[in-house]
Amino acid sequence: MNRKIMSAFGVAAAASLALTGCGGESEPEAPEGPVTISLAGWDFASTPEFQTLADAYEEANPDVTVELKEYPAGDDYDTALTADLSAGAAPDVFIVKNLKNYVTFQEGGTLLDISDVAAELDPETGGLEPMAVDGATYAVPYRQDSWLLYYNKELFEKAGVDLPDGSWTWDDYAAAAEELTEGVDEKSVTGTYLHSWQSTVQGFALAQTEGAALDGGDFSFLAPYYERELALQDAGAQPSYATVTTNELTYQAQFGTQKAAMMPMGSWYIGTLVAEQESGAADTFEWGIAPIPQLDESTTGTENTPVTFGDPTTMGINAGIDESKVETAKDFLSFAAGPEGAAALAGIGITPALIDDTVADAIFSLEGVPQDELSRFSYTTHETLPENPVGQNTAAIQTILGEMHSAVMSESTPVDEAITEAEERVANEVG
Amino acid sequence: MTTPVVGNQRTLGFSQPEPSRPLRKPRTSLKVRNALIGWTFILPNFLGFAVLTLTPVITLFYMSLTNWNIFGTAEWVGLENFARLVGDKSFHIALGNTLYYAALHIPITIIVSLALALLLNQKLRGAAFFRTVAFFPYITSIVAVAVVWNMLFSPEFGPINQFLGMFVGGDLPGWTVSKDWAMPAVIIVGTWKDMGYYMLLFLAGLQTVPTELHEAARIDGAGAWQRFWNVTLPCLRPTMFFVTVMVTIQSLKVFDLILVMTDGGPGQATLVLSQYIYQKGFEQFQFGYASAIAVVLFLICILVTVVQFLYNKRRDA
Repeated sequence: MNRKIMSAFGVAAAASLALTGCGGESEPEAPEGPVTISLAGWDFASTPEFQTLADAYEEANPDVTVELKEYPAGDDYDTALTADLSAGAAPDVFIVKNLKNYVTFQEGGTLLDISDVAAELDPETGGLEPMAVDGATYAVPYRQDSWLLYYNKELFEKAGVDLPDGSWTWDDYAAAAEELTEGVDEKSVTGTYLHSWQSTVQGFALAQTEGAALDGGDFSFLAPYYERELALQDAGAQPSYATVTTNELTYQAQFGTQKAAMMPMGSWYIGTLVAEQESGAADTFEWGIAPIPQLDESTTGTENTPVTFGDPTTMGINAGIDESKVETAKDFLSFAAGPEGAAALAGIGITPALIDDTVADAIFSLEGVPQDELSRFSYTTHETLPENPVGQNTAAIQTILGEMHSAVMSESTPVDEAITEAEERVANEVG
Repeated sequence: MTTPVVGNQRTLGFSQPEPSRPLRKPRTSLKVRNALIGWTFILPNFLGFAVLTLTPVITLFYMSLTNWNIFGTAEWVGLENFARLVGDKSFHIALGNTLYYAALHIPITIIVSLALALLLNQKLRGAAFFRTVAFFPYITSIVAVAVVWNMLFSPEFGPINQFLGMFVGGDLPGWTVSKDWAMPAVIIVGTWKDMGYYMLLFLAGLQTVPTELHEAARIDGAGAWQRFWNVTLPCLRPTMFFVTVMVTIQSLKVFDLILVMTDGGPGQATLVLSQYIYQKGFEQFQFGYASAIAVVLFLICILVTVVQFLYNKRRDA
């Protein structure tokens, strides 16, 4: 009896296997009905944007489930995702987190051509244009932070220095930093704070200098920017690079606890500062946002569009995706990079790539965000160029420039010598 | 020579040869069986080694002869990667820095940890406490170590320079943010962190030094220094050999300490081979080239270790 039951089960199991096997092979097209696509992201606990986009999309498309797959945060994201991609185990849709690795992914054949999605997006979408590789687009920006100038209104008043009005060049900024340091006259407070990242100098130089290019082999455009920062740290108007790195200073604490009257930083810091003022991690003080200072007066003033930098965060489709899911994945991308996705992101204080009035209203309705006109202007109006222009050698060049940055800012190597050395290294080691 | 073992096995009843068969066959099967038992014991360890170390190392040699950006198939390029190494200035700098680190870190660590071991081998009050203290850096998280030491080394506000300022006038070292001083700073921290571990090995070694020899030497009128030089040190030779090999390999593949303390900077002042491999592989996706550098590091490690083994063998003979 036992045996009979068992053999019956066996036959049933074999039959069902055969049937499902058959069904899987002969199914021609995706059936109308529920579809599940997977999306790679990182650190969901502190990065809610993925869940927000998934929820918003599922609400608009009840037939679709967006399944999130968590990867480690930081640089480990690329490493772990790369391993999964090369093993053919990566999710259907993934974030291209670091623009400098975009070409590697694209050339590796891991990204689907989604030029049709890109063509339908608003051309105003920040960072969209530079994503084209030989006329085709493989990832679309859904998020783009731009660099702005944050300032502490109370420290400005204390020092008797005029608030930024949008007309500043970097020289005005440097002069104000020195005046502020003197005017506030407290040992632990400096006029401005420059974080240790290479982008805080090189990002602006590359974006604002006419004709500057990362792969042009000529880095002389960096010189004036470095000279200015070195002068500022020598004058004591900002903590020196040595102090910043050896004491592990954080930009959140420097500006948030009023140790610096100004700070160039990305727009993500708006949300952070608001949250930290609310939680008490940052002091309560009045602050504002101004356009980032410009190289010369041709782009200053509120009648012009200030030039700044910022890498878009982009989303692409895994080339190994099941064919039946491609349309849904593309639709999800259009949604995430379009106005609906932008509105959803702005609702949680994140700067989307597409900034329209709805987005600005959402951001500026958050409690604690400055309400003055210049702040809104700075947030909504800018030409944002990538820190890592799409190119085959971007990653290698950035490594060399990163080493140059630490050599110059620590005052181990004079600016001109370091630039020449970097140029030689790029010629010698890259390509 | 092998028969007693077989005999033992028999009497222990591990295996009973079937009486009807000729004598030779069971012997071989017994041998096989014994070998198999041995293999079974090392199998778990060997499996881990084979999957996690041996296979990647063999793959590494293959990868070093290819051009591979992790996606798609690797393109065979023969010795091209190695030819590129010859002209790669950054590689030369990284190699030089690695040797610089090793050249100072190896002797200093050995001397300091041996001195600590000798000191804490005395019957001092609280010796156990101080042994623990000396071992502490070794088990402390490297990130915490780097953060604290970076603050101590801070050129303007750090306690080290404030202390030095009391005795020395003029320019003080810039430590981790100076091209000239970054490497010494890293070596100091590396030595401080590792000395506890090697001290422990030396302490263990010191327990094997026969006290009679010391007593005999003392009766013969040998001073402390002579006893150390002629009794302790020769008796410590096996330990010394082991420590030297370990500390050498550790120095040549130093990575995490430098990554968190200076990230290879300022400029390329503390860029070492392991970090260069990481940069080329995981930051720039040049896995073929990174593998070639790794092969070079591997060969250097092997070469140095073989030389040490040969030297030790000659002294043994």
